[in-house]
Formats: sequence, C-alpha cells, structure tokens
Amino acid sequence: MPVTLLSVQKVAVRYGAIQAVENAELAVAAGEIVTLLGANGAGKSSLLNACMGLVPLAGGQVHFDGQRISGTRTEHVVRRGMTLTPEGRRVFPGLSVADNLAIGAAASPQLRRETAARRTEMYDLFPRLHERQKQLAGTLSGGEQQMLAIARSLMSNPKLLLLDEPSLGLAPNIVDQIFDIIAALRARGVTILLVEQNAELALDIADRGYVLAGGRIVLSGTPGELRASGLERVYLGAH
Amino acid sequence: MEYFLQQGLNALALGGTYALLGLGLAVVFSVLGLINFAHGELMTLTGYGIFYTLLMGVPYPLALLAGVLIAALAAVLMERIAFRPVRNASPTTMLLTSFAVSTILHILFQNLISARPKAIPVPDAIIGAVSVGSMQIGIIQLLSIAITAVSLLGLTLFLKKSLLGIAMRAAAEDFNVARLMGVNANMVISTAFAISGILAGIAGVLWLFQRGSVDPMMGFLPVLKAFIAVVLGGLGSLTGAVIGGFILGIIEVSLRAYLPDGMLAYRDAISLTLVILVLFFLPQGIVPRRESVR
Amino acid sequence: MAKNIGKYGALLATIMAVAPFCAAQAQDAIKIGFVGGFTGYLAPYDQPTLQGIELAVEQINKAGGIDGKQIELISRDMRSDTAQAAVTAQEVVDQGVQVMIAPCDVDPAVATGQITQAAQIPTIAACASTPILPGMVGDYMFANYTADNLQATALADYALEQGYKNALVLLSRDTPYTEMLPRYFATVFEKKGGTVAATLEFKMGQQDFSAEVTKIKELSPAPDVVMTAAYEPDFPAFIRQLRSAGITAPVLGSDGIDSPTTLELGEVAEGVVFSNAGYPTPGSALEKFNADFKAHFGEEPSAIFTATGYDVIKVVEAAVKATGGNLEGPALRDAIDNLENVAVATGSITYKGMNRVPLRVVALNKVQGGQKVHVANVTPNGADVPPAQ
Ligand SMILES: Nc1ncnc2c1ncn2[C@@H]1O[C@H](COP(=O)(O)OP(=O)(O)OP(=O)(O)O)[C@@H](O)[C@H]1O
Ligand SMILES: [Mg+2]
Repeated sequence: MPVTLLSVQKVAVRYGAIQAVENAELAVAAGEIVTLLGANGAGKSSLLNACMGLVPLAGGQVHFDGQRISGTRTEHVVRRGMTLTPEGRRVFPGLSVADNLAIGAAASPQLRRETAARRTEMYDLFPRLHERQKQLAGTLSGGEQQMLAIARSLMSNPKLLLLDEPSLGLAPNIVDQIFDIIAALRARGVTILLVEQNAELALDIADRGYVLAGGRIVLSGTPGELRASGLERVYLGAH
Repeated sequence: MEYFLQQGLNALALGGTYALLGLGLAVVFSVLGLINFAHGELMTLTGYGIFYTLLMGVPYPLALLAGVLIAALAAVLMERIAFRPVRNASPTTMLLTSFAVSTILHILFQNLISARPKAIPVPDAIIGAVSVGSMQIGIIQLLSIAITAVSLLGLTLFLKKSLLGIAMRAAAEDFNVARLMGVNANMVISTAFAISGILAGIAGVLWLFQRGSVDPMMGFLPVLKAFIAVVLGGLGSLTGAVIGGFILGIIEVSLRAYLPDGMLAYRDAISLTLVILVLFFLPQGIVPRRESVR
Repeated sequence: MAKNIGKYGALLATIMAVAPFCAAQAQDAIKIGFVGGFTGYLAPYDQPTLQGIELAVEQINKAGGIDGKQIELISRDMRSDTAQAAVTAQEVVDQGVQVMIAPCDVDPAVATGQITQAAQIPTIAACASTPILPGMVGDYMFANYTADNLQATALADYALEQGYKNALVLLSRDTPYTEMLPRYFATVFEKKGGTVAATLEFKMGQQDFSAEVTKIKELSPAPDVVMTAAYEPDFPAFIRQLRSAGITAPVLGSDGIDSPTTLELGEVAEGVVFSNAGYPTPGSALEKFNADFKAHFGEEPSAIFTATGYDVIKVVEAAVKATGGNLEGPALRDAIDNLENVAVATGSITYKGMNRVPLRVVALNKVQGGQKVHVANVTPNGADVPPAQ
C-alpha cells in the first residue's frame, strides 16, 4: 500500500461570490503521476493554488506527507516538500537563469546552503539552461522558459511537484520534450500532479486521473476508465 | 569651460541626493506598489535622531549612524503598524494611508518636539573646499558624491549578489510567484522598507550637512523631488529612479546656471515642463518597468 | 459676638470697596482685541506676542490703568487660518473692542483689518513686517514691527559705513519678506553710491545653492558684501556652500536669522551681521522688559516678539492718553498717527509722518565666537527709507 502524499478533503475556494472549487476530494500517492483534467475555468489552477496556500480555503483541509498544511504559509509548504510550477511559466524575466534557480531554493536555510549543488544537478538535467545560466530569463524561448520554471520548482528538492499546464502555448516537438522530462522526473522518484488541457497526452503518461467541472470533481479513475466513461462529454458539458 | 565643469559637478552632487531619495521610494514601490509619501518624514526622523543622540553626549559619527538606523527602524515599524493591515487593499487606500502616516508624524513632531527648527552642528572639517587644478570643490559636495556612489554600489551588490537581494528583485517582478517559491513575503517587504529607511537616512544626513537644522517640515520638499525623479525614471524601476534623480539634478542646476536673470523666476515651471515633455514621449518613464513575459 | 461682627464688617467693607471698582471696569474699560494664531504655523510668533501683551496689560492695570481706565484684553485663536481670521475678528468686534491687534502674517492681518476698517476700529499688526500692509487695508491699519524697508535701510547704511561698494543681493520671490527686503536694500545702497554686482534668486527650501555660489565666484570684480533675507533652512545651507567655495565676502542678513541655528553654524557664520528689532544693552528698556518677563512667566522670553507685543500696548496707552480718554475710532486713529517718540520695550516708536509704518530702533548684531554680539542700535533717517512697494 503506497503512502498517500497529498490528500485534499472537501476543499472549497471562493473569490467573493465566485465559487471556483466546491467540495473537492483528491489524493496522490508517493511515486504516482496523477492528472487533473478539466475545461477552461473549471477550477484546476485554483485547486493547486489552494494546496500551496496561495489562496485561502473557503472550506475543507489539505494534508501533505501526514501533516495538515492548509492554513500554513507557502514557504512552510515548500519546505515540507511540495512545489508548484505555475500556469504560464512565470519565470522572473529580469533575473538571470542562475538567479531564477536560486529563488527556487529560498524557502529554508537548509535549501539555501544546497543551492550550488542543486543548481549543478539542474544543469545536468537541462543542459540548455546550463549554456544560458547568465542570460536573463525574459530572453529565453518559450520552451526554455518552461524548462527553467520546472527546474526552479525542483530546486527545493520536492517530493511532490504540481505542474499547471506545462504544455501551454508550446510547439508540439517542445511539448514532447517536456513530457519526456516529466517521465524522467518520475524515474527520479518525484511524484507529480499534472494539470493539463491536452487530456490525451496527460492520460498517456498518468497512473490515475481526476476530472474537474464547474469546480467539482465529476470523474476519477485510471486512464482507461476515464477514456471509457466519455471524457469528451464532460468537456462539452462544461462548455 | 571651468564654469561648465563646476556646474556639472554641482548637478552630480544634487542629482545624487535626489537619486538616493528616489531609490528609497522606488524600492518600496517595486515590491508593494505603494508610493510612500511618509518617506520624507524618515529623513526628518534622522535629523531628530541625530539631534537627541548628540544631546545625550554620543560622539558625532555614532550619532550620524544612529540617525540613519533610526530611520531604518522607523521605516520597518511604519510598515508593520500602518501598511501591513492594508497590504491587500486598493493602491488608493495604501496611498491615503501613507499621507495619514506623514501627517500624523508632522503633528507629533510639532507638538512633542517643536515647531521651531533644532540646530544640528556640522563639523568645521567638512565645510572647506579642496582645489583641483583651478577648480575649488566643496568638501560637502565631494562627500555627497562619494556617499551617493558608495550607497548605490552597496545597494547594487546587495541586489545582485545576496539571495535576499535577488529575492527582492524577484518579488518586484512577480510577487505571487516569489511567494510560491517559498520567499518569505513579510521578510522581503520589511527589507524593502529597511533599505528605503537607510537611503532616506543617508540622504537626510547629506541634507542636514547643508541646512544645519531639522524642523517638522524638513522632509516635505525632498519627497516631492524624489517623486518626480521616480516618475521620470519609470515607476517601479530602481535603475530608473537613479537615472531620474540625476536627470532632475541636471535639469535644475542647468536652469539655475544658464537661464537669463529675468527668467529665473520661472525655472520650476520650466523644469516641470521638461519633465512632462519627457513623459509625453516616454509615458512609462525612461526605464519602463519590465512586464513579466508570459 | 463682637469678634464676629468685626469679621463680617471687614468682609462687608471689602465687598463695598471692590464693587464700585468692578462696575467701573465694566463700564469704563478699554477693550483691546487680539486675533492671533496661537496654534498652527503662526504659533511661534503669535504666542510670544500674546505673552508680551499680557505682561503690558497687567502692569498697566496694576498701576491704575490708563488715566484710571482698566484694560480688558479679549484674545482669540484664529488657528493660523486666513478665513478663520475674518470670522474671529468679527466675533471680537461684536464684543465692542476699541482697538484690535492683528496676527503676525500679512494675509490674516489683512483679513482682520478689512473687518475692523469697516467698523472704524484702529488696528495694529503686531509683527507683520511688510510695509505695504497698512496701505493694503486702509487708514485704520497700523504696522508695529520693524518694517522690511526700515531694516533694509539700516543694513544699507551699515554696509556703506563699512566701506563696502559692490554688493551681491540674493532674494527669493516666494515671500514678500525674502524678495522685498533685499530689493529695498539694493535701492538704498545704490542711491547712496554703492553698486549692485548682481541679483540672484533662490527658491525657498531648495537646499542646494551650488549653482548660485558658482555664479558668485564667476563675478568680476568680486562683490565685497553679500546681502540676503534668506532664513532657515535656506540661510544655513547658503552660507555653508558659499564658504565652502572659498568666498569670504562679509554677509549681511535680516531678523529671520535671529535664531539659535545661526549661532550654532560655527566657523561659517562667524562675522555675519544681521538686523533685528532690539538688543538688551545694559540699562536699556529691553533689558528691564526681559527681567520683568522672567519674573512674571518664570522663563526667558523665547523671541523678540514678546517685547514687540508689549510695545503695541504701550502705543495704545500713549494714544489713549493723547485723546484724553476719548475712545472713538477716528480720534484714536488720529492720535496713533501723530505719536512721536513713544518709549517702548524695544526703544522708541514714532508714527508721525510715517504713513502708519513706525520709525523705530533697528539693532545690528554680529555673530562672534558662536555668540550674538551687539554692534549698534540705529534709527534710520525717515527720509532715507524707500517707499513701500
Ligand atoms: N483571482 C481571481 N479572482 C476572481 N476570480 C477568479 C480568480 N482566479 C480565478 N477565478 C475564477 O475562478 C474560476 C476558476 O478559475 P481557474 O483559474 O482555477 O480555472 P482553471 O481550471 O485553471 O482554468 P484554465 O484551464 O483556463 O487555466 C474561473 O471562473 C475564474 O474566472
Ligand atoms: Mg488554470
């Protein structure tokens, strides 16, 4: 029985009158790749941000690695071993590649001490970043920026990586590269919760999946079960 | 030629002080989106800090240091007490809060200390002039230029080399993602205020060397100039604030040096017109703030 | 029993003695109003003025009043606000004052004067120094303090006496005081044979005088005296930067720099000569005033405005005596206008022939070793004083 890393219970997120997430239940076990699917505006990003403590919960609880993390500050969540690569990459454009990576290890003194070593690891994993370590992040290509964003999240040596639409706006061959990296990460022992619009690609790589519509989890299961239960209908219904 | 060189030096010294002040405003604006109009009161606090520590018999250099540290501490407290509760409120709310802080401090200075100026002695040693070729350069002026240069260098090194400095730049570009990476938001904001306090304190010391007294209104005009420098340079850009400060210094000194006597009365109007002209062609200021690339 | 009667008798006697006195005060008092800025930016001027006024009123009343008439002082705070000054002045006028004292700055003094002019109540501005003030309001408005043109004349006379021939004048158009005082100086100085090498301008609060100082250094021939009416924080900044640039010409200033800051400037301010409204030389009336003040308030006077406030009441006293007790507005007005050599705390005051701007003593002082040292008391020739503009 694998250990449950992340457990989301009855979580609700509201922005004023807007209910972005309602009564969401979700679990990720160590070593898994779990994908969270859903149409635009379904509430996927809101749920990830809520797990990270970036937006307050309107209800429910989040546990990570056996401890309750809802209500704690983001840096505590990062220190416990969960990070998020945000939608749209959001690298710091005016900072060099190396400085972007340094920020990824800012959450604790322990991490800060290991910055140099972790950075070398990232350069091994992403040789393109190594060549461009002095370059300002804003001048990187879209694919390079996505690699940097992922590498930055990995700087804190997370047990669980939340990826919010890593393929967004990238050319197909770059998307393939990114998915190769995700597979490689799993091989290195990183657990992944992947939010994707590109459901086919995500289901190809995932062990399990959830479907979010109108802020609620409407389906869950293995890729095969999800495909069988008519994923497209859910997407269409949400539109 | 000599007149020109001398006036150039004058512009450098004045622009440097404006740059320090503008930088103080910009550091806070870059992370918090707030123009802190109580920034001038930090200068005033430096003055009163020096005044009272001297009264207590503290040696002069230590009193200057104490004055600067008091400004830094006051800036951090200002953030804790006044700005943190409204951090997520609208920019207008924060701006009004800073006006309120400024007014409250004025009133406290007036009623608890004095409406009249308090004299701050300036050592005779720094009042003279040194000759460079046929030019005479005031020591206070040289000191202004040197202190400005050292401060700018120190701040640049801090922002480029230290993790806290890099984190501040990151927070200035994208506050939410910086938080997401585990950067402590309170820490970054407190540091920004502490830096703005130190810069205000240093500028305050330079200002005090020239004026020799502190009164409740001391910070009013400088913060206005700093605001102009920051808008000119580009709101939120630190480099811009420095460039804006120097340009403002150059504009002011050149007008005072080269306008015919009859037009001197209009020099503030002319200098503001020049500033507006620059903003007309570069509405975002000279160094526009980088938008995060998506 | 007899004892008790004695006690009551004494009480009764006291009441009977005081009662008619109170009645007399109520009917026959001289009511003087003072609309002052006791809070706000005028407080450093109007508060000490009020102290001097109170001291004079108490001394005169104790000595039996003016020709037997007690003075009743009605003072009201206009919070350093010009609009409020007009409102407060009306309230005070409604209480039936026969003389009004106006606040220490031109604008609220004019606002006060416009109310009292209409009511034909002679009004004296305690320490506003712009000589055009009486002309701006009308024939019931008088100045009291050393006027800008008078101070400037004293300074110009002094400069010429020292043999200075070529003056540099530094002014600021930001206030009438900082602009006109140097201009009056230039007028007198040039009229009496001096030349003005250049007139430079500054903005109040500009701090940085490097551009102006560089201009002064370029002047050929170099000026042999520098005159300005700048005060804190401009004056300290200016003189430091002037001396830093190696310019050693003597500097003349006005009463705006009569402040501890000037004395604490150290080396750079050494030798600066400035004018003010009086210096307490041994045996002078001002020395006596300062002693009385200390005895009454338990502290040294904080500013010369205590003494000039005292002067206003002495002027009123002289005028009431001159009318033989007639308190009608026109009579009092004419009486003040014709006063000559009234002995006051700061020396003496003459209104006759001066268009309601008094001729009075100007004290010249020098900064020496961080101390204020008396140079001379001068009363300029009335004919030399340039017309108010
Ligand atoms: N900061 C915010 N303030 C107000 N409403 C918000 C905010 N962020 C998101 N929302 C709303 O919450 C709902 C869910 O948004 P969310 O970004 O979580 O969706 P998503 O599933 O990530 O969509 P996408 O696939 O387009 O990224 C949407 O209706 C959105 O408009
Ligand atoms: Mg999203």
